[in-house]
Amino acid sequence: MAQTVDARQKVLAANEAAAQELRGSFAAAGTLVVNLISSPGSGKTTLLEASTRALRARYRLGCIEGDIATERDADRLRALGIPAHQILTGGACHLDARQVRGALEQALFPGLDILFIENVGNLICPTSYDLGEDFKVVLLSVTEGDDKPFKYPAIFARAAVSVITKSDLLPYTSFDLEAVRQQVATLNPDGAFLVTSARSGAGIDTWCRLLEARLAAKRGGRA
Amino acid sequence: MHELSIAQSILAGTRTALTPYPGARVERVRVAVGELTAIEPELLRFAWEALLDGTPDAGCVLDVEWRPARQSCPACGVPRQRPEHGWLMVCEECGGALRIEGGQELDLLQVSFVLPDDEEDADGTDR
Repeated sequence: MAQTVDARQKVLAANEAAAQELRGSFAAAGTLVVNLISSPGSGKTTLLEASTRALRARYRLGCIEGDIATERDADRLRALGIPAHQILTGGACHLDARQVRGALEQALFPGLDILFIENVGNLICPTSYDLGEDFKVVLLSVTEGDDKPFKYPAIFARAAVSVITKSDLLPYTSFDLEAVRQQVATLNPDGAFLVTSARSGAGIDTWCRLLEARLAAKRGGRA
Repeated sequence: MHELSIAQSILAGTRTALTPYPGARVERVRVAVGELTAIEPELLRFAWEALLDGTPDAGCVLDVEWRPARQSCPACGVPRQRPEHGWLMVCEECGGALRIEGGQELDLLQVSFVLPDDEEDADGTDR
């Protein structure tokens, strides 16, 4: 006779426990942690380069890069003078909290103001994994097309900030910015929506001010 | 394709639930998967089969309860019927912004198993 037991728990309970532990240590350190998620080639690293140039004089920044292969992204940020640690997933399509914990044990990060975690390029798999971040950011470049929020609702519903990238290319595409704004507002009425171009510099100030405001709010809440 | 890691996490949770029952063979595991978890039930079942293949639990059924996200209007205070596979942009009654509820579930619910003694009984084997 088969027996049945109530096994009610979150499937990702182990990941969530590790993420909560990380969240606690980030809170104690007063570090704002941002988890960046997008398709490959949307401009995550390029946005981080622009953010680094704008913020490095006033804030201690650090970066964890998730990729299947190569140290290329971490090298790009180190070249700008901030500490960066590369996690190589060897084919896995997302980062999990235990990998981030492992990276923090290896990386010699000084007390950071802002830690960026650049996830593996993928709009799907990283969605479910809490990394102990303060919030997720989803990037969408205008060349990817204006139907993506409804095609990938999970990440757009969950990310506190949606960043449109490569806005300098808007005149050369049929990307309907208003349609995208409405899709994001439908999925995530409380989320922030920014339009940026790392190349022209448009919107980078707004993005950096958002980071500064969230950092101040986090530290204000702690005091 | 992260369904394999999700399947591994379901299996880990299943094993934890069966700690008090040594030797138990799992027959059926029930999970809830929300629409906004970016998990595809068919791929999850496939990953589950692949994971258990060649183990004593091979053939264990993974029941996936699909939990759709719902939209409701905070102004009207009522749920609104979504179009199939789509979303309402605004409330059809008042034109206001809608909120999304649910769809984030990714839960292990129940584990059904047989104990070695039961299997012997079923075979009519004397102990």
